[in-house]
Amino acid sequence: MNYLSSAFGGPWCVAVYTYREGIRRKLLIGFLILSLLVIFGSSFITSFVDPTAETDIDLKLIKDICVTAIAIFGALITVYISASVIPAEVETKVIYTVLSKPVSRVQYLLGKFLGIQLIIIVNLLLMGGLFFMALYIRQGIMPTLLLWSIFLTYFEFLIISAFTFAVSCAATSPLVPTLQGLFIYITANLTEYLKDVEHRAGQTGQFLDEAIGKIATALYSILPNLQNFSIKMQIVNGQPNDPPTDVMIPWLVLYSLVYAVAGFACAYLVFRRKEV
Amino acid sequence: MTTVIRTTALNKIYEGSLRSQDVHALKDLNLEIREGEIFGYLGPNGSGKTTTIKMLLGLLFPTSGKIEILGSEAIESAKIKRNIGYLPEGAYYPDFLRGEEILSYYGRLYGLRGAELNKRVDETLELVGMQHARKRFLRGYSKGMRQRIGLAQALISDPKILILDEPTTGLDPIARKDIRDLLVELRKRGITLLISSHELLEVELISDRVAILFEGVMQTLGTMDELLTQRELSMTVEHMTDEIAASLEEKGIVVEDRTGIRALLRLPQKLSTYDAIELCQARKLNLLSISPRRETLEELFVRIVGSASESREVAQ
Ligand SMILES: Nc1ncnc2c1ncn2[C@@H]1O[C@H](COP(=O)(O)OP(=O)(O)OP(=O)(O)O)[C@@H](O)[C@H]1O
Ligand SMILES: [Mg+2]
Repeated sequence: MNYLSSAFGGPWCVAVYTYREGIRRKLLIGFLILSLLVIFGSSFITSFVDPTAETDIDLKLIKDICVTAIAIFGALITVYISASVIPAEVETKVIYTVLSKPVSRVQYLLGKFLGIQLIIIVNLLLMGGLFFMALYIRQGIMPTLLLWSIFLTYFEFLIISAFTFAVSCAATSPLVPTLQGLFIYITANLTEYLKDVEHRAGQTGQFLDEAIGKIATALYSILPNLQNFSIKMQIVNGQPNDPPTDVMIPWLVLYSLVYAVAGFACAYLVFRRKEV
Repeated sequence: MTTVIRTTALNKIYEGSLRSQDVHALKDLNLEIREGEIFGYLGPNGSGKTTTIKMLLGLLFPTSGKIEILGSEAIESAKIKRNIGYLPEGAYYPDFLRGEEILSYYGRLYGLRGAELNKRVDETLELVGMQHARKRFLRGYSKGMRQRIGLAQALISDPKILILDEPTTGLDPIARKDIRDLLVELRKRGITLLISSHELLEVELISDRVAILFEGVMQTLGTMDELLTQRELSMTVEHMTDEIAASLEEKGIVVEDRTGIRALLRLPQKLSTYDAIELCQARKLNLLSISPRRETLEELFVRIVGSASESREVAQ
């Protein structure tokens, strides 16, 4: 117990501090407010205007908009916060006062990473919570499927966060890690498309075609497939309290954790001998 | 006397990037800081003071050489770091926290908890004179208050060694005096202090030993008495005239300051007190005061840095 508290006490303090600091960032609050406005606007306003005129199509559209809004704003928040926590602390030199305390570099990184996860989770819960209420008020059924969706979305973000964080440890400003994070998020959501490119590019045998095919293959095999984490179609089309079908939840969680550990290990390798 | 910090042939080269050259920021530095002393670490801008300090704290890594703190080379271990407090140069402290919250954050990083933590927060706030502002957010603090909170975070664990990088830069005279008094008080409690500074008058007042660095090379190191030995006589006289001044200057006496008939004279070292009195009698000068005069730290600094940069220019 004593050993545990000395090994994880430091990281936990850093995590709580990181959370408190990060949650005050203007850009992050901006993203959060925008997403809440989209969810609130799309799910409440239409029904207030004329509740009787509501159709099934409307509801599907609303669900689609809201799930997409959570995914996109959530990803923006994830990338932004994962990319900027370390560079900002180096920039303001707060890192000097922290690393000179009896906190090892791995404990420090762990604390920062945990703090980032807390921020992501709280934001997801706020966005998901509002949508959950909206759906419940409309349909009168607990939309438990939405909870599964939020859960899986978090594990999707965990992968993005770990890799953006690793790049941010090597960077001197948040710009490069932000761009890289967005790149990974977008391409990893398009892996099916990459596979398609791979197939088609192989057909002509021209040099450029082959090169594009190779790049697509490489990306496809390295990048995680983030589409697996989305149950949007089921949310839009199915019953709100269905159990999630078509996805292997434990397997996805494991998949995400493996990527996260790999990302964190990269971050540590970069940061271990970083001069600040 | 035990040595608490020792560096042996310490070198630091900042690797250049594509467009910039390597910077050899520290060259074969040998430094010994003894228990319980105030050590003044001096040098012009860019001479390598901050570089040295950051290496002591494991924020930068030496290119070669050895660092020992409290007899151990494992300077990054929690066991050693627990004994060190550090005030970085020009650091920022989080605006969104209150004074006391910042201190408890840093205190927790030292492993302090509960009642012990609260007690240390109280004590350090008291020590740096910030009890009145403990509940206020840092965004409402002045520069001097921030610097005091910076000192408090360095002191929170009651460290054996305190490393301060320019602790009084940008502060008003009263705040400086407060901090100076505090540093002397800390030495009385047995804390070893390493202070880098450009405020030579302050350093002269409180330091036991000083080192002067120039372009990464240690130029001189010693106690104030050892370094500032050159004793000259300084005299104040009345009834000075231009002819007398001219005749005195022939003898190598410097007329430093002359207002009307009164003048301040500086005598070369070879002249004794008796010679001085004789000189005055011979010229019918009225002697008001005579006192030995020690070189100031500022003069030493200018002399050392001046000759070091001259010899560098010759070498080029
Ligand atoms: N990160 C860095 N990369 C490259 N060169 C650096 C870096 N940091 C410092 N230097 C160089 O190393 C030398 C020593 O710098 P340092 O900051 O240690 O000086 P200092 O004595 O603390 O100066 P000051 O009194 O201005 O604070 C300078 O020439 C500086 O340009
Ligand atoms: Mg400096």
